[in-house]
Amino acid sequence: MRDLYQRLGVSPQANDEELQHAVARCPNSALRQDAKAVFEVPKHRESYNQTLTTLSDIGQLRARLGLTHGAHWQGDVANDFSLPADQAVSRHDELVDRVSQAVVLYNRLRGLRGIWLLIVTFIVGTGIGVGLGFTLSQTLAA
Amino acid sequence: MSIARFSPFELLLLKSRSQVDTAKLLLLAWVLVHRQHVSEGQRRRRLAQVSVHFRHGHDLAPIIHIAQQQDLKAIQLAAEVLRKECSKEHSLGVMHQAITVATDSGELSLANHYILRFLADLLNVAPLTLNTLFQELTGSPLAAPEDPSRDAYWRIHDADYYAQKAREAETAQQQAREAQEKAERQERERQQEEAERAHAKAQAEAERERNRQQEQTRRQEQRERKKRQQQESQEGAKQRNSYQRASSPPPPDRTTRALAVLGLMPGASQVEVRKAYRRMAQLHHPDRFYTESEHQIALASARFQRIKSAYDYLMHTYR
Repeated sequence: MRDLYQRLGVSPQANDEELQHAVARCPNSALRQDAKAVFEVPKHRESYNQTLTTLSDIGQLRARLGLTHGAHWQGDVANDFSLPADQAVSRHDELVDRVSQAVVLYNRLRGLRGIWLLIVTFIVGTGIGVGLGFTLSQTLAA
Repeated sequence: MSIARFSPFELLLLKSRSQVDTAKLLLLAWVLVHRQHVSEGQRRRRLAQVSVHFRHGHDLAPIIHIAQQQDLKAIQLAAEVLRKECSKEHSLGVMHQAITVATDSGELSLANHYILRFLADLLNVAPLTLNTLFQELTGSPLAAPEDPSRDAYWRIHDADYYAQKAREAETAQQQAREAQEKAERQERERQQEEAERAHAKAQAEAERERNRQQEQTRRQEQRERKKRQQQESQEGAKQRNSYQRASSPPPPDRTTRALAVLGLMPGASQVEVRKAYRRMAQLHHPDRFYTESEHQIALASARFQRIKSAYDYLMHTYR
């Protein structure tokens, strides 16, 4: 399948008027006829757009997984959607990194627990003491 | 130190009893989501049926939800997990499941054509192996996917639209024919009238001729008289009358000029412009003059450039 938007030089979000203009200006008569068949009827365009989304998603996936030139995509299967391989990180490695990071954080939290408990009881104790003193002084003044 | 939140699929993967099975489940759900003419409930049941032997151990609804959103990150993660952990035999099994889920004695949808090919690439299944597997499972060879970016596809899949268009064209043609007949009839009537009028005119003409001769003689006399008067009254005086300039036609704007280059009148339609451009371009293309002298070729290419720029300009303005 071809990416007609790319070939006509318009964005996939273009409105009908822009599309019609682009179609009318297209110098290739065969492409013009195809584009007319797809874009003149809203139903056709919608269904075409769905396939286009799936295909461009797969194209991105192939680029990220290093499958741009896979055996099934040679010839003219979907050449418009074969992107150059990008250097994105592997999602799996990223996940493993994040999990290990989370584990380290958790362990540190566990290790600090004893100290934190002490600090918290101290703060609560002083808070109660100050509160009691304040109320006592209030009643005495009265 | 803050960590980005784990996405729903990452959480599922971490909680799952077998990461490969969860990854497989997501990819199968992705295939299922792109099957057509199947209800939501059927999809869910089919996925449950496929995943009986999976050691996923969680609810299927979130997986289906992720697949429906077509979450690229999740699908990429699943693909990576699958690629990392699948052996050769195992990957054929996955391919097998994907094909059955995608077809189930129904037709392979367009999106699934591509998804299956993607999965085959991912699992290192050669095109030939995929074809054989597909033929064994469905009884028909894996055809090349249809191309909805072509006119021919819609002629097959939306024949109604084309039939309607043909009908409309026919009625338009008929109307045009009727209009033409009417015009011809009017033309004939007009000609008849004109003939009658011409007859009457011829009679009137003779009368007028006589009148004109009388008029002319009278006017000449008047003019001579006037001349004499003028000569008498303005003999040395300068004439201060400024000449009234004849009103020239408005300067042709760029569109008109461009149309003139293509040999068209102002107000020509886009179709006419395109036709004229084709004809002129063929006529003046420099390649036609390659047997002639350099000078001829240079002239032709200059003409061709002029025609082309006129056409480009017109195509820009016709919005």
